[in-house]
Amino acid sequence: MINTQLAALLTSGSFIIIGLYAAIFLDNIIKKIIGLSFIEEGANLFLITLAYRADGIVPIFLSGMNPQWFAENSAYPLPQALVLTSIVIGASTLAVMLAIAMVLYKKHGSLSTDEILGDKNE
Amino acid sequence: MNDLIPLMVIIPIIAAILLNLFNKNNSTVKILSFVVAIVLPIIPLLANYGTYYFGGHAPLTDYGTFLSLFPNSILNTLHIGITYSYGSMQQILIFFLFIIAFLAILTTIGERKKISGTYMFLMFMGLASVVAMLLSDDIFHLYIFFEIVIIAQVGIVLASNHKEKYETAMKYMILGSIGGPMLLTGIGFLLALVGSVNITDIVHVVKNGLINSYSPIFLLSFGLIFFGWLYSVGLPPFHTIKSDMYSKATPSGSALLQTLSVIIFISIGLAIFRIYNGISYVGTFIIFFSLAAMILSISMALTETDFRRIIGFLAVGELGYLGIGFGIGTKLSLTAALFQGLNEIIITALLFIGFGTTLYLSKTSEINKLGGLIENNPKTGVMVLIGGFALAGVPPLNGFQSKVMLIQSALDKGFPELAIIMILISIVTFMTFIKIFHSIYLKPKPKDLIIEDNKIPKSTTFTMGVLIIMCIVLGLMPSLVVNGFNAFIGGLI
Amino acid sequence: MIEYIIMIIGILGAILALAQRDLLKAAILTGISGGCIAVLFQILLAPDVALTQAIVGAAIIPVFIALAIYKTHGVDNND
Repeated sequence: MINTQLAALLTSGSFIIIGLYAAIFLDNIIKKIIGLSFIEEGANLFLITLAYRADGIVPIFLSGMNPQWFAENSAYPLPQALVLTSIVIGASTLAVMLAIAMVLYKKHGSLSTDEILGDKNE
Repeated sequence: MNDLIPLMVIIPIIAAILLNLFNKNNSTVKILSFVVAIVLPIIPLLANYGTYYFGGHAPLTDYGTFLSLFPNSILNTLHIGITYSYGSMQQILIFFLFIIAFLAILTTIGERKKISGTYMFLMFMGLASVVAMLLSDDIFHLYIFFEIVIIAQVGIVLASNHKEKYETAMKYMILGSIGGPMLLTGIGFLLALVGSVNITDIVHVVKNGLINSYSPIFLLSFGLIFFGWLYSVGLPPFHTIKSDMYSKATPSGSALLQTLSVIIFISIGLAIFRIYNGISYVGTFIIFFSLAAMILSISMALTETDFRRIIGFLAVGELGYLGIGFGIGTKLSLTAALFQGLNEIIITALLFIGFGTTLYLSKTSEINKLGGLIENNPKTGVMVLIGGFALAGVPPLNGFQSKVMLIQSALDKGFPELAIIMILISIVTFMTFIKIFHSIYLKPKPKDLIIEDNKIPKSTTFTMGVLIIMCIVLGLMPSLVVNGFNAFIGGLI
Repeated sequence: MIEYIIMIIGILGAILALAQRDLLKAAILTGISGGCIAVLFQILLAPDVALTQAIVGAAIIPVFIALAIYKTHGVDNND
């Protein structure tokens, strides 16, 4: 029987593989960048999946909870805190890449990676 | 005064934000960046050795009944917040890093009439990130600043006026966006095994045999983190893109870029060495990639005709020496590797800035079109020559001392082949350097070469003078820094 | 059950986004898979991360991509 954690791991794996495929094989630069954002999201999903606990609770400590019961039942909060940072970094990297892609389009008049980044031209 | 430790990261970041704010105001940018750059090298000298816990989260010792379930040995070391640890190695490297950054900023101010605040922002941001990487004892912290430093490096390259800078920057960003998530996934696997991202905790768990060093997940995490490391420092297969980055930036920019790479190499390399030391073939792995870096980049340097690209390849090849030191993994070799890293920072900064003056005079970087520049600026020519001697390891300069230590450590460990290869590569490096030097300075001047009557800025000459003095002082008195490195490595192994 | 459906929608959205010829559609589909990941975060007991991801992944990233496409009049000619 497949459970939620395993399915989420598979999802994150497929996001990373789809993204890698796009980043390596697709020619259009915007699609390459979209693929790179998928890799980033897959890695984030992977970290969150690690923190998941089946039938657990959200890791927010409310007053009146028993600390031991909380520690035994909550999801692990550390990876969640890490992913918050990682999401923002991913978005800013994406913005920089899109900006460079726009400049490259102005210069070459094309979005094809072969034409923009190929070694032969000029 | 342990409170000074985080200031080494905070002050550059605040300066960077302020400089970006004052972007349009030329004189404010100049004064602010100059003052901050002068103040920075003083901080590492004043700060005491020790650790700094962010938010006051000291390691857990007594947290009530629940934690008593765990053995004491874990509880005493389990870090729950971000920790900065500051020792002799960090002090020396951060001090020299700040000095080089000061010189790079001084050169930039001297060479340009208009200073862009954004460019200074990127320089300070890159600086703050690598200092944080050196200080932090937290592998996720390394990842965050790894990503920030990619953006800073790309920005430094974009600030030059090379024709193809955008293409190179785009390639570097694409590879970086693959390498970053790989590193993050590797950290995720480690986190799944250990439950902490603190390097000391992970080392504690691995050393006490609480996890199997040869379990597939542990090996997978090694592979992913190693991939991110290879990318960020420019070992093969990423040596071409790294040297491309060097050749596209302005001279002072590439000096800073190489400094950033060396510091990233040392900080992530030390983390890898500490965590994965138990796996028997990790050292061989690192040595293999380092040798490949040395041989591939030297052979590519021989075929190039653009002197910026040649120095770029030489700089990447020099990183291989560091890798060999890490791979051998003895106390002597690690000390030698750290010393070699420091020397590389100084020497390549000297070469990048020194050969950069050629560009200032003639506007071309093709060595076939250049020649006879020794008449126009003999002073710079002699200084560059000294830099080349230091790079190749001619006594009594600093490159000689660290390379002798590396060769000695290879012989001690029983790898005479490695020692021979290192000597050979060193000779070929020297030949390549002499080739550029001859064709730029000594060979008769081609007829169609127009040399502009630009005076070389005083700040540039001053920078090169300071760098040469550092080369000579470290060459004559290596114990100034080697003792510090030795003490740090002794505490590590 | 709902989580499996959302996972499948997310993966399909990602594949479809890369298969589009019109890049604007690709941007919108990127937003859909980003939103699916945000819901997944909620299911995987990370509500605060889900909030951030919902804003960044489902709104900001597609808008950035759409802006870049608007400036470059982009159509993928190669498939």
